[in-house]
Amino acid sequence: MSLKIDHRINGQIFPQPCPHLAEFRSRNGAKPFRALQDCLRVKPPSGRAAIRRDPDEVPRCGECGDSGGRTRLYACVGCAGVHCHAPPGPSHAAAHAESMAPGHEIAVDLDRAELFCCACRDQVYDRDFDAAVVLAQTAASTLHAPSSIARSPHPENLRKRRRVDYRPWTPDPRERALMVSCSSPLNAAVSVSRSNNLPWGLRGLNNLGNTCFMNSVLQALLHTPPLRNYFLSDRHNRYFCQKKSGASNDATKRVVAKNADARICLACDMDAMFSAVFSGDRTTYSPARFLYSWWQHAANLASYEQQDAHEFFISMLDGIHEKVEKDRRKPQSQGNGDCCIAHRVFSGILRSDVMCMACGFTSTTYDPCVDISLDLEPNQGGSAKMASTKSNYSYSGEADCTNSSQNYGISTLMGCLDRFTRPERLGSDQKFFCQQCQVRQESLKQMSIRKLPLVSCFHIKRFEHSSVRKMSRKVDRYLQFPFSLDMAPYLSSSILRSRFGNRIFPFDGDEPDASNELSSEFELFAVVTHTGKLDAGHYVTYLRLSNQWYKCDDAWITEVNESTVRAAQGYMMFYVQKVLYYKASEKQVAA
Amino acid sequence: MRTSINRPPTPVAEEDEDHQPTLQEIINIKLIESGEKERLKELLRERLIECGWRDEMKALCRAFARKKGRNNVTVDDLVQVITPKGRASVPDSVKAELLQRIRTFLASASI
Repeated sequence: MSLKIDHRINGQIFPQPCPHLAEFRSRNGAKPFRALQDCLRVKPPSGRAAIRRDPDEVPRCGECGDSGGRTRLYACVGCAGVHCHAPPGPSHAAAHAESMAPGHEIAVDLDRAELFCCACRDQVYDRDFDAAVVLAQTAASTLHAPSSIARSPHPENLRKRRRVDYRPWTPDPRERALMVSCSSPLNAAVSVSRSNNLPWGLRGLNNLGNTCFMNSVLQALLHTPPLRNYFLSDRHNRYFCQKKSGASNDATKRVVAKNADARICLACDMDAMFSAVFSGDRTTYSPARFLYSWWQHAANLASYEQQDAHEFFISMLDGIHEKVEKDRRKPQSQGNGDCCIAHRVFSGILRSDVMCMACGFTSTTYDPCVDISLDLEPNQGGSAKMASTKSNYSYSGEADCTNSSQNYGISTLMGCLDRFTRPERLGSDQKFFCQQCQVRQESLKQMSIRKLPLVSCFHIKRFEHSSVRKMSRKVDRYLQFPFSLDMAPYLSSSILRSRFGNRIFPFDGDEPDASNELSSEFELFAVVTHTGKLDAGHYVTYLRLSNQWYKCDDAWITEVNESTVRAAQGYMMFYVQKVLYYKASEKQVAA
Repeated sequence: MRTSINRPPTPVAEEDEDHQPTLQEIINIKLIESGEKERLKELLRERLIECGWRDEMKALCRAFARKKGRNNVTVDDLVQVITPKGRASVPDSVKAELLQRIRTFLASASI
């Protein structure tokens, strides 16, 4: 058995060649691998690469004539002889390597186009070989298609900005004097309330009439680190903002109704709320002004009826965006996050690939998103059987482990994300128009994440509204969610890599300053939960501050145990990136 | 395929002329030639992913690799370890569906 040490280059694991591969390469260079390119066949609909001398060839083992029914077939890279390999039974491939050694140890799996060392009995990796395979696969999928469509469209809003190092800042005496003169100190009551050691920014929100849907989301947002930092560092000053909108309206003499509209600014109300909540005052706060502003914005939801917290969340982000966009004439593109703070914090980019099952042509689109809505898995008949066979196996079940445990009967957040990024067959009633075939064909659709937002909000679709059956219901099934989450397996680069098999190859979109080097690790900081029925329920938010959990139930805030949070019925989960990076800004952005 | 090293004479697939291909071999070849084997493989892949079988196998492999140490595991080890468990845990519905497809194919190929 060879000793292989993996090390990282540019964030990618680069397996070291086994001694046999190293020797083969030093003797023959990369030529034999590149020569294999002629034998690479890409088969639709999967787009998988296989090795065949002729496209219709039925490969057989040179020794026993086995045509791969129950064994893997390998072609020796040295002499092109095909042999079978079926451990622990007889392996003609291993025998060949031994008898013809040296130089005949490296072989390629005919059906998978992957390198194998018959002496080490293990898979090996070679850059040039993988490059040849990926090139063949991408060439096959874009054959005959006009080049403008063939190349996966690069999202224009993913501009590269130079990354800069963090430089800590402290005010110099002049700045300090300026700060003191232009601000008012927090009231003395602060020192009293600080004595019970509650962290800053914890303040109950009064329920103004079925407004727990709003209170729960607001509590999460008040403690969303990038958002909190933005408002607390005065990036949107409500006094300046009001003065500006007031001045412009006088000048243009608009209709009264529009005047009122212009002065409504959800960001200003948020600014006011941040100031109030972080003032140190522990009395409960009534977000009445905010509610009023939001009603102006979302007139159709303006009532004292219970609303959906997720709908409120989307509507609120939209409100902040709209107001800012109207004022500033900023770029509309949301994916970049340059338009407003709401998108800067929450906006990511989703990639959707639709692959024609007949010819393999893939069409790619990018869409910005502010959150990810996930379906809970439906109960499947298969999983019951899996559960019974599973009971014999034991492996470590850490709370944050990544295996999908749907077969234990427990749904997990990562299981939902797995399903979200799984290839989905678009059936006969959903045929997609294929550019290459020029007809509607059955297709395979797969989602992945092109760019991760600073804060990921996962929304669990617990409320099902069926217009067909004219009824709505709530799905109460428990969902397990981790406190730490690594989103790497759901990134486009990972999904693409797995589609092409085990390859070492830089993929389109793998820019050195993009997602590869950036961390994909997230930490949970807020959970909005729902208890009760569809039309008569209650929202409560759990906040994590300095690794201590607090339950925010409208006006009442209490310290709770970690296990209480884990057992809660998650509806919206908020994760923030563990590591933040700074980009050189093009200009000073004043709010 | 261009070769640069000692190349043995092209091996003859059938060693003796009396060797009759078994029914299994005939079916396998017919499946490959018609392209049906590839389609069946894709269908099987899809079904096994849908029901979580592949994730289970992945988890088993991960656990095994964790136990033995990442650098002490070979593909053959993994295949040997998970094959019996894998075969045993394929859902009956998946088996039934594939058998039905194969039966249909055999009927149409008049074997």
